[in-house]
Amino acid sequence: MRVVKMVSRAASSVSFLLLLALHAGALPANARASLDAPSGTLYLKSSPDADAQEALRMTTTMQAQVTGNVARVHVTQTFLNSGSDWVEGLYVFPLSAGAAVDELFMTVGDRTIRGEIQEKVQAQATYAKARSEGKQASIVDQERPNMFTTAVANIAPQSTVSIEITYLETIPYRDSRYTLRLPLAITPRYMPGARLDPAAPLAAANAAWVNAAFGTSATPERVTAPGQKVDITIELAPGFPLGSVQSLHHAAEMKDDGSGKRIHLTGTQVAADHDFELVWTPAVTDDVAAAAFAEKVGDDTFALVVLTPPNVADDAAQSREVTFIIDTSGSMQGPSIEQARAALQMGIERLKPGDLFNIIRFASDSSSLFAEPQLAGASTRILAGQFISALRADGGTEMRAPLEQALSTAPNAGYLQQIVFITDGSVGNEAELIALIHRQIGPSRLFTVGIGAAPNSYFLEQAAAAGRGSYTFIAEREQVKSRMQELFQKLERPALVDLKLRWPDDLAADVAAPIPGDLYAGDPLVILARLPRSPSANLILSGHIRGQDWTHPVAVTRVGEQSGLSKLWARERIGDLARQVQYGGDREQLRASILALALKHHLVSDVTSLVAVDTVVVRPPGSSGHVEQAPTSAPSGSYWATTGFAKTATPAGLLLDCGLACIVFGGILLWAMPRKAVAR
Amino acid sequence: MSYLPTFPVEELSKSAVVALFIAGIVCVSEAAWIHAKATLAQALIGAAWRREQAGSGSTRPWPWADTHPVARLTFGGGHNARTFTILEGSSGRNLAFGPAHDPASVVPGEPGNSVIEGHRDTHFALLRDIKVGDVLRVESLTSLSVSFKVTDIRVVDSRRARISLHADGPRLTLVTCYPFDAVAPGGPLRFIVTAERIGMPIEAHGARISSESNPGA
Repeated sequence: MRVVKMVSRAASSVSFLLLLALHAGALPANARASLDAPSGTLYLKSSPDADAQEALRMTTTMQAQVTGNVARVHVTQTFLNSGSDWVEGLYVFPLSAGAAVDELFMTVGDRTIRGEIQEKVQAQATYAKARSEGKQASIVDQERPNMFTTAVANIAPQSTVSIEITYLETIPYRDSRYTLRLPLAITPRYMPGARLDPAAPLAAANAAWVNAAFGTSATPERVTAPGQKVDITIELAPGFPLGSVQSLHHAAEMKDDGSGKRIHLTGTQVAADHDFELVWTPAVTDDVAAAAFAEKVGDDTFALVVLTPPNVADDAAQSREVTFIIDTSGSMQGPSIEQARAALQMGIERLKPGDLFNIIRFASDSSSLFAEPQLAGASTRILAGQFISALRADGGTEMRAPLEQALSTAPNAGYLQQIVFITDGSVGNEAELIALIHRQIGPSRLFTVGIGAAPNSYFLEQAAAAGRGSYTFIAEREQVKSRMQELFQKLERPALVDLKLRWPDDLAADVAAPIPGDLYAGDPLVILARLPRSPSANLILSGHIRGQDWTHPVAVTRVGEQSGLSKLWARERIGDLARQVQYGGDREQLRASILALALKHHLVSDVTSLVAVDTVVVRPPGSSGHVEQAPTSAPSGSYWATTGFAKTATPAGLLLDCGLACIVFGGILLWAMPRKAVAR
Repeated sequence: MSYLPTFPVEELSKSAVVALFIAGIVCVSEAAWIHAKATLAQALIGAAWRREQAGSGSTRPWPWADTHPVARLTFGGGHNARTFTILEGSSGRNLAFGPAHDPASVVPGEPGNSVIEGHRDTHFALLRDIKVGDVLRVESLTSLSVSFKVTDIRVVDSRRARISLHADGPRLTLVTCYPFDAVAPGGPLRFIVTAERIGMPIEAHGARISSESNPGA
């Protein structure tokens, strides 16, 4: 039977053989590739690139202590060199955009070396010198305000080096809850003008763009999934009775020890493909939530004031003109575009009769639903629905054109202008876009909605700040409804306008960043100030709510309860100075101010780095070594969290059939030849 | 008609016959070599696996190899059991020697999706007869033996589909080309077998569910 089957297959292959003969020397490209694919032979030496066995392993542990409104986070990165060569390890990792990174501890064996803050150029020279001398050294650089790089030199074969990085962060009370967010995954950034190659994000051309834009130091992200695992423990001491505590995206086990909660992720390690979010609420919510803390450092007193404006129900909502901008670029592929479509659909449904609206979509190009904003009615809503369901994620992220279009729309008198910008924010030209928004926002307000497992929160927060709006983060499809509802409630009623702050005793307060002129419902006000002495009386917040005067006294009596306020103040001031650079301020002067502040307060910044150098020379001169970069996790659901297919067929069948066909054909020819010819 | 004898029909036919026989033999032996390589390499790799497991000697199947075995995969049981040693890295070269593990995915048995690819006409030809409910056994370097049960079998177009690397528990995804009978290699279709781990410790599973359903507790 088998022989019969073979012969019949051979016969069927004759036509294929003839086709091959006709095309000899002009094989179709795909056929050639597939014939070449299984070219492995037992005696061939492998190519050099295939030889690069990865020796570097990295594990991350995160421990956070939350006290009131401040989180102190310890990030421990353990670099293990499993090879027989000396390795310099690199790792690019995300942190919260407001993180005040203040300490670095390097542990080798039983020795721990504390990192020093130095000007970035000097720190890099210190590190390079130690590396060439054969000493163990490490450096923490800020690539961007929310992205950092650790480099560890001279990791000995078969040994580990632990790097502990600590930072402080304020936890605002926003939309009736406190949120601690630990970013774990990186979406590779898109640089306008560079081609998006999903298979090799930030390849050479793209990396060159990054380096040109960020002063040659940016280490390209290298993402894989689900490469990195992380172990997270949180100690929560909120300072008030808790209503609820929830880990939004990771299963967590919680223990209550009376004074607070201890939260640990279940399973010792989880894949770092989702940002971690812990949300807690107080058992009792006041109408106006305000708290103030102070810390004395030397002659100065640093104060942290946190306020949430009253939640006013307003029936007489003002008519609005809403422009929705939606990102349909390739990085939005998968669950992100679905979430974005759902969020946009909700936005359209929430519009009231009398509101004006328009939708602009963009990828490499942009287009809009209407030429001019139209009244929200039955027919325009149907058109919008069709437009939304036709949205597909593909192409680059050219944000400039749609933003300019939305910002340049002539305002209609009597309408509250609002722009709702739905994106994952994966762009590299952040500074340019923020400056554009700052310049052209006028009376409009820009609200950013971050979509996906790991949107670029830094950009979206800064864009919202420049556009005097707020930032909403939606990680999962299930959250779209509740988060968009909160945003639209906010959009429908600004809560507090003409906001002013009066310090008692005419204290010359040095506020880290200008306070916003008005607050929307649910938005927190966080004020960090440096004072010459502790205030002896209440500070007064005042403003208008629906045309009524409003004042609220806040007592700054809780001195010494919080530590690190000076660092948080310095970090906030550095952030404000950096924004001024983006808006086009005097670069040199601002840079000098940032440098002085960062050095004084021991903070990593754009111009300062932490560097730790061991005193012992460990690597013998002349021994070989190489550099390896540990990959960072890509967000779940994104292109980078999937894998493609290999070529899983050999040409054996084809070769056998062709071979048999040749022999059969030859046999037929032999048999058909005149006997005379054969005999002769 | 008189010019016919001057045209060397016999000579041409003879050369054609010789050429066809040579081409035929070359093709057939090349095909035989592909199969011989697939079988021979598995024996060498199996030996490397035993060395790796014993923690002694080189883990490379042959001195100049740039890959190493990561796991052993067994189909069926008893006399019909077929065991393959899985190599790290699904390059064309590795696939010629054995089923290969996609290095972007987790090691088999770990939480997450572990992707193993194999040639439809050598090692993974046996996937043709696999059924939902079949049990596969995986022996990795870290765990003794883990069983997986086939939960899904489907054919996808590789030009449009991609495999998610995320899975809640340990998952195994076996990939080979489809159709099994196609003459020419390089087709776009893939035959995908999904298997989920069985025999998970009950208490660990229960704890995970309870903390998810009541995270605020």
